[in-house]
Amino acid sequence: MDLKIKDFESALQSLEDIVQQLESGGLTLDRALELFEEGTRLSRFCSAKLEEAERRVELLVKDAEGAWKETPFTPGPEGAQDR
Amino acid sequence: MDLYAPRKVYTVGEITAEVKRSVEALGIVWIRGEISNFKHHSSGHMYFSLKDDRAQLRAAFFRNSNMYVKFRPEDGLEVMVRGRLTVYEPRGDYQVIVEYMEPVGLGSLQLAFEQLKERLRKEGLFDEARKKKLPLLPAKIGIVTSPTGAALRDMLRILERRNASLHVLVYPARVQGQGAADEIAAGVRYFNTRDDIDVIIVGRGGGSIEDLWAFNEEAVARAVCASRISIISAVGHEVDFTICDFVADLRAPTPSAAAEMVSGARDDLKATVGSLARRALQAIRLDLERRRSKLQRLAASRAFQAAPGRIRELQQRFDEAALRLGECVRRYLAAQRHRAQMLHVRLAKVDLSRIVALSARALAGCRNRLEAALLLRLEKERSRLGRAAGRLRALSPLAVLERGYAICRDARGNIMTDAARAAPGDLVAVRLAHGALDCRVQSIREDSDGSQDQGL
Repeated sequence: MDLKIKDFESALQSLEDIVQQLESGGLTLDRALELFEEGTRLSRFCSAKLEEAERRVELLVKDAEGAWKETPFTPGPEGAQDR
Repeated sequence: MDLYAPRKVYTVGEITAEVKRSVEALGIVWIRGEISNFKHHSSGHMYFSLKDDRAQLRAAFFRNSNMYVKFRPEDGLEVMVRGRLTVYEPRGDYQVIVEYMEPVGLGSLQLAFEQLKERLRKEGLFDEARKKKLPLLPAKIGIVTSPTGAALRDMLRILERRNASLHVLVYPARVQGQGAADEIAAGVRYFNTRDDIDVIIVGRGGGSIEDLWAFNEEAVARAVCASRISIISAVGHEVDFTICDFVADLRAPTPSAAAEMVSGARDDLKATVGSLARRALQAIRLDLERRRSKLQRLAASRAFQAAPGRIRELQQRFDEAALRLGECVRRYLAAQRHRAQMLHVRLAKVDLSRIVALSARALAGCRNRLEAALLLRLEKERSRLGRAAGRLRALSPLAVLERGYAICRDARGNIMTDAARAAPGDLVAVRLAHGALDCRVQSIREDSDGSQDQGL
């Protein structure tokens, strides 16, 4: 199967469909194995996606030209004035 | 009245000026009444009448004063105004110049809130149908809030605790005071110019209705409504509702709850993906198991076919069946072996070698059992055939001839059992155990006592 995995949501949707087909049975062995292989690929993709995003906090700061620039950010101490 | 006293005659202008002076001498007054004939002129000035059940009073509310009023004055609204009375000399009207207005009953902000809410509701801005779904797995979130506020600190703390792999981008905006609403709206619009933001959170920590007011302003509502990126509104505490909450795609009771919303789904999804993977494995296991037991049933049913009735057919049918069965089993086993190999290769790729090894062992076991069952059956049938052939041999007339008896047939081939049926000179054929004799009858002897030879 060379279904292109586009995004997490459609991958998860396809995975659900495949599991349902496998569970409902009535497939040839070849087809069942094909689906299983595809399902495994999808679940790996989904798991990878779940882990992949970066943990990062940035603050937008205006530079001299007035454009927004991203700079690393750590929140200030407790009891800051402005809520 | 003394008609002849010297007259004090005023011109209209003089008397009007006199009235104006005394009216204005009242200074600043508070007046309560209901608004009617309200006009909001394009210049920004407001003109209306205040009335009660006895009288009416003209009122003017100029732009530089009315711009601080949060709610919208409208006909029928009961208000209290603070102002100065004066006379508009060209028309001789007296009127109140309003400096400040507040609604009677509700607080001014409360009224403004209700009015804007009603207006936007009528426009359909709160309709569930136009609200966007949050993405299942946001990777990058934009937060519009004060960079020094408690709300941001709370949200980051939750994300930290959740160990959420999220990229957070903070747009610094003042969240209270003059101009705050415009900054918040600008933040929402800014994130919409980027293509890497999955969700926007706008919010701030708790405070009074005045503190939260920026989130009740139309500028924020419009910006949130126009956003193509899903927005979570997280303003104040659970009990605080703002216009922004109603317009946003999702309302979080608190900023912390908003952080939970964007990070919590990840845990649920991990569980979902895990359970789907397990179900796929379980289904394919069951599938293989079903196929294996079907193979066993097939082999068994062929082997248990009913034994043939007649011995000659038995041999043939048995040989054919054994051949067919053997061929069939060989083919099936070859196919299963091939599939098992393919399965092995594929499952090895997905790191499931354990279940493959299990399947292969089970398949091999099944094959051995099948072959053993087949051999046993072949042996059984072979000895059964041997016994039947023995019985056949015992019953065969040829066996009788071996013992020295002969069979005599007449010219038509009928077996002869009575000498009286023959005549001298007839040709008869005599069958011996080995070979036959062609004979001619010379004479006929009938049994004297008529009894049959018991030797036969």
